[in-house]
Amino acid sequence: MRLDDLDGALRETLRQEAVASAYRIDGLEDRVVATISGRSPNPGAIGVLRQLLAPSKGGRVAQLALVGATAACFLFLGTALGPRLRGVHTPESVTALRAALASGNATLFVVPAPDAESVTVLGNFNGWTATPLSDPDDDGIWTATLDLAPGRYEYAYLVDGRWWGQDPLADEYVRSFGEYNSVRYVERKGDDA
Amino acid sequence: MYQLQEEVSLLRASLDGDAEAWGEIVSRYKDAVYGLCLGFLRQPADAEDIAQDAFIRAYTNLRRYHLEKRFSTWLFTIASNLCRNRLRYRRYHPVVAPPDQMLGGRDPAIEVAREDRHSQIRSGLDKLPYAYRAPLVLRFYNDLSYKEIAEVLSLPEGTVKTRIHRAKVQLKQVLEKDGVVNHEIG
Repeated sequence: MRLDDLDGALRETLRQEAVASAYRIDGLEDRVVATISGRSPNPGAIGVLRQLLAPSKGGRVAQLALVGATAACFLFLGTALGPRLRGVHTPESVTALRAALASGNATLFVVPAPDAESVTVLGNFNGWTATPLSDPDDDGIWTATLDLAPGRYEYAYLVDGRWWGQDPLADEYVRSFGEYNSVRYVERKGDDA
Repeated sequence: MYQLQEEVSLLRASLDGDAEAWGEIVSRYKDAVYGLCLGFLRQPADAEDIAQDAFIRAYTNLRRYHLEKRFSTWLFTIASNLCRNRLRYRRYHPVVAPPDQMLGGRDPAIEVAREDRHSQIRSGLDKLPYAYRAPLVLRFYNDLSYKEIAEVLSLPEGTVKTRIHRAKVQLKQVLEKDGVVNHEIG
């Protein structure tokens, strides 16, 4: 017999073996959910940095050193990434969008993407499912207005299916799964946006 | 983007602490992970333990996962590492009873299966060293490509191909010795 003839038998045996004792994993999802309930995934390096920077009684010098290091990192990133973003957002468009954002109470999501076929926003406010942005006047500025309760929201855009997580209108950026996400803090209605 | 959008949504919701979303991920991958663990460890009780542990560890370390990789490959890497650790533990804490007796020997499905040719192949798999068995299971149970197996086991792709070939040769020899190849498979 040829070695390749073993392939089918092996495949079948391994499957049959797993099926024969598969009753052992009935309800495994419930057991896992019960174990992890109330826990969050580990915060990662950025999260740890954020915890360290949170106000505490002691370690003021260490905190200031960390703030300095973080600022240096952002300065470096800004220098490195700034030129890349210039083609997407002109300073004028960002200023105009900021003004529009500040004038209303609802949360505005805006993406200038003249050549895009579709733009959606995903975030922890919609369970990371896609909410479409629209461009009714065909000027290349895609918008969506969502009524969000006050809180911290992590989000990103999908522009023609490509992840775009660095919204210039964001309050800060975080990294997850190796991609950037934007973060926006929604204030209570009536407060300054 | 490599992943299905729906799966990415579940992963991101999990990262936000949504345990139910992670439950859905477990539901989708539990068969694959359990089968992998069973293939590697050859003991259902251990496989169940390690599969559960793999999902809990993956959740805890979810922030380390990068979307450039297939999620299944990342998950299988965690499960494989846990299996390897368990096998090392067994080496220093050997069990007295053979695996079949540990099952209780009363599982009707296993009792029936024992009578057919699968039991001889299973016995052949038991005799293979882990280094050969692991790529074989990933190839023939999890249907991974050589490249993906190399990623999961942290081996060069060429080594994976060689080990799978040698594993099959060794398995064939064991089966021929038991008279299975000629009568059953061949």
